[in-house]
Amino acid sequence: MTRVGAGGVHSGYRRSPAMPRWAARLLSCLAGSVVLAIMVGPQEGTTADYGLTFRKQVLSPRIVIFLGIGVLLFLAMTYWPKIAPFMTRPGFWPLVSGGLAVVAAQALMHWYDQAGDGKFTATASAVANTGGISPLAGAFFAWLAWTQLIAILVGGVTVIVLGLRRVGFVVAAAAVAAGVICYLSHRAVVDFAGGVDHSLGYAAAMIGYLVIAAAMLASALTTREQAHSKEFVSRVLAFRPGLPLVALGGVLGLLALIDARWFSPANKNLSISGTRALFLGSGLETIAMQYLTWLGWALLAGSVVVSGIAAWWRQRVVGWLAAAIGAAGAVITLITLYDISTVAALTSFDGATGAWQNLGAGGWMAAAALFLTGAAGFVVATSPRVKAERERAGEMRGVPAKPVSTTGQALGYLSAPGAARSALLIAVAAALFYPPTATGFWQQVLVTEIGVSMLLAVGLNVVVGWAGLLDLGFIAFYAIGSYTTAYLVGSLPVRPPSWLHMTPLLTIPFAILVCLLAGLLLGAPTLRLRGDYLAIVTLGFGEIIHLAAVNAKNITNGSEGTTNDTGTHTKSVPYASIHLGPIRIEWGLNQLQYWYLLLVFLVVIILAFRRLEQSRLGRAWAAVREDEVAAQATGINTTKVKLAAFAIGASTSGVAGVFFASQIGTFTPDNFVLNNSILIVAYVVFGGMGSLSGALAGAAMLTWLPEFLKYQVPPADKLMWIGAVVLLMMIFRPAGLIPARRRAAELSHFSDVQSAETDAVPLGEGMGGSR
Amino acid sequence: MSHFLDYLILGLTRGSMYALIALGYTLVYGVLQLINFAHSEVFMSGAFGSYIIVHLIVGNGAGTPAWQVPFVIGIGMLSGAITAAGVGWTLERVAYRPLRRRGAPKLAFLIGAIGASFFLSTLASKLFNSQTTNQFPAFFGNGVLFRIDGAEVRVLQAVIVLSALAMMVFLDRLVSVTKLGRSIRAVSEDAPTAALMGVDIDKTISRTFVIGGLLGGAAGFLFGLNFSFAYNMGFAPGVKAFAAAVLGGIGNIRGAMLGGLLLGIVENLVLLIPGFDASWTDVVAFVVLVGVLMFRPTGLLGERVGRAA
Repeated sequence: MTRVGAGGVHSGYRRSPAMPRWAARLLSCLAGSVVLAIMVGPQEGTTADYGLTFRKQVLSPRIVIFLGIGVLLFLAMTYWPKIAPFMTRPGFWPLVSGGLAVVAAQALMHWYDQAGDGKFTATASAVANTGGISPLAGAFFAWLAWTQLIAILVGGVTVIVLGLRRVGFVVAAAAVAAGVICYLSHRAVVDFAGGVDHSLGYAAAMIGYLVIAAAMLASALTTREQAHSKEFVSRVLAFRPGLPLVALGGVLGLLALIDARWFSPANKNLSISGTRALFLGSGLETIAMQYLTWLGWALLAGSVVVSGIAAWWRQRVVGWLAAAIGAAGAVITLITLYDISTVAALTSFDGATGAWQNLGAGGWMAAAALFLTGAAGFVVATSPRVKAERERAGEMRGVPAKPVSTTGQALGYLSAPGAARSALLIAVAAALFYPPTATGFWQQVLVTEIGVSMLLAVGLNVVVGWAGLLDLGFIAFYAIGSYTTAYLVGSLPVRPPSWLHMTPLLTIPFAILVCLLAGLLLGAPTLRLRGDYLAIVTLGFGEIIHLAAVNAKNITNGSEGTTNDTGTHTKSVPYASIHLGPIRIEWGLNQLQYWYLLLVFLVVIILAFRRLEQSRLGRAWAAVREDEVAAQATGINTTKVKLAAFAIGASTSGVAGVFFASQIGTFTPDNFVLNNSILIVAYVVFGGMGSLSGALAGAAMLTWLPEFLKYQVPPADKLMWIGAVVLLMMIFRPAGLIPARRRAAELSHFSDVQSAETDAVPLGEGMGGSR
Repeated sequence: MSHFLDYLILGLTRGSMYALIALGYTLVYGVLQLINFAHSEVFMSGAFGSYIIVHLIVGNGAGTPAWQVPFVIGIGMLSGAITAAGVGWTLERVAYRPLRRRGAPKLAFLIGAIGASFFLSTLASKLFNSQTTNQFPAFFGNGVLFRIDGAEVRVLQAVIVLSALAMMVFLDRLVSVTKLGRSIRAVSEDAPTAALMGVDIDKTISRTFVIGGLLGGAAGFLFGLNFSFAYNMGFAPGVKAFAAAVLGGIGNIRGAMLGGLLLGIVENLVLLIPGFDASWTDVVAFVVLVGVLMFRPTGLLGERVGRAA
């Protein structure tokens, strides 16, 4: 059997088509625009009148707009060869993405949380109805915002299309000014009205404008200047891996200390100096007071300078010193934050009941900044010896420029020495210090949706991505882990013997063990099956577990869900807690605590899996995935290897199950339906099969998207947009968000054409398939 | 005994619908070697498409003269089949062909199909309504056609089983005799060679989707006649039909028919066993599936042992 699906066999012969190609294209564009018209708009059909939605959405004047979009699309496709050259001009894509960022910020994001739904239009109408706000903000929210965007975009396109180089500087300056206006207007509104504000619309718009400014600068330079600056940047970065981190940390730290809010009870938004004034003489610890007065500045400056020195001259010892300073600084920042909030709580300032309340983003930003500069030091200190690296840098200079391709370029920057590690450390900083500044809703999403999905995706990645076994019933193990926990903490109708009764965190080894056994149980008899037969059996297994949980009422309490001692359903599985002699940690309603617990799980699992991927077992998985017969011939015990994949994947989701059960408190079999299994496969494939970071990114992206869409589209339409995004992603980037490096590497040996996106896709893909 | 026959008849009815849907899965699997997860939505679109036409003709169905009923049923089935065929064709053109051209990995097809499935079912809920209790007019009431040994055979059941059987026979002939059938088989067998022999692969694949859609759409109409229908109706029968296709040996057309009928019957006969109520039927269906695959890893009629994928 040869696979058409993957082989890409083209038609043998072609008769003349019934319709000219352009007519077919126009028709399909128009049909697409009609579908789009239906997609954008409310649901209105009833059982009595099926055509209502169609008439409202399609047979009304608004259709003209959508047909216009369709015609534009048709024109763009038809005249693509004429348009395409402009797109390769420097600055074009940054201009487009910056423009899109600003549009998204002004159309979708929050600008001021206290006004209506918080979005731009709500804020604008609130500003219009309130007198006394600065005239700049008034103008901005009334007309300036869109006007300046359109003016700058038109200017930018003109510069690029007509090649008016020097005008580019003017537009760049205008874009910077527009970004500043965004910032000032938002600031004016917040300062005027007060109140808690987590909105990020202004920041997104500002970043968008800065990107546009950068694009304009790029198009303002001559080709020689561009090549020169590119070469300069790559030369600098090739030898100085930590430098971007230092820069990022410095900027973030400056923002934190100059502008950001440190302490924001209901109607006060105090910057660091304001906080100092407020807490003067209120019994703050000396170090915290000193931090607010001068130590914060000193730490930031010291950390940036030391890590900058370390990065620029690539001094390993200084690098370690910078890492130490950064780490100490971050810890001191946290101590200060703790102190501020406890003192505030002691005086029950604005209803605060404990530590870590009423804090603004500033402190967390400062901590992140110090962490990042320290991380830069760490990157410098752990990068390879300087001499070898210098030779490499010299080599790199001799290498001709890579072919032009946006993805290729992005990968180029990422492949600079230390860049992957830097990206990882930035992600860690974000994971550590972003959640405290998020709203309660997003904290909850982060824990219950994103975090748990990440764990599950990482687990499934072992089975699907590495061993190439398509598992459509993965949620079953998650269910088993959750129910094991519920049993051991006594939340099911069947009670454990008293000596086995335990707290949630202690159940982890048991849950892992039970899931492992379940994985073996599923794996052992099904290993003879291949490809889609295995898929359907795992699917069946998932369904069996789900239905058994529903039906075995005297064991699982059926669809009623878990119960506690008194027979009620609220919080039947207790919160996690650790009691180890003097150490007492209790998790509670606060989502943040669970986030950090989850982070610990994730980090441990990811570290373990990273080693696993490169281990003998990981390589055996790759071999089995690519060609089982050949793998067997080379002496791999395929049965053992596949079973190991099942068992390891299953035990990961067992951990996720424990976490889920303890965090959510009460669950029913409906948490473990087939759709969720399929979604986890989607996370893994969307992110890039077989790459850990891909699985994480895919899970985060696809769980974030529905929650984000919750505010943007009617809730019932969520799945439609997700479906469209997933489908488009698969069509245009079949290898996923972050393709696995090994798969990409495998392919590059066989292919002559470089850097085409599809080349990252192996020909015969996984699932134990034949080649 | 009479219970046995009762359940057997119920099982045949359900099984023939499964078989019709399973044929769509198996046909597409034959030519593309991929699970068309969006086929359940093709099936769903058949129900809605036929409903709109039937509604246009007879309104809510009150007072349709008896002699018109067969025509209405025929038109309903045809319109359902045509709608679903259109959806299947569009799906192939919009989703699968670009993926094929790009040489996408197999799982990308699968996930793309799942995306398409989400998209289509939500779009249907938006376009028509999000109610879950849409009903076709009751053309036959509870009319009993005849009784065997006390077991009732209702008119509706007879219509469903007979029309499904007719379609299956038609498909079987189509695939074994006609030129199109030969090209479908050729592409399933060895696509590159088929291309060398002058088979237009693109056209064959897209026609395969159309045929699968025709059958699925007709099944959607029949399903809607028997039960109520909704935008999310595709999911459960879709999974079952997929299971049926695998049970019979995926890629094997007669296997899909056999698997569908078998699954429907087993599902209903289980109710005869004391202690099993309707909530266990799905469990049993999957246990049977797993059990069969344990002993015949490539399904009942699957022949390509060891190279199934």
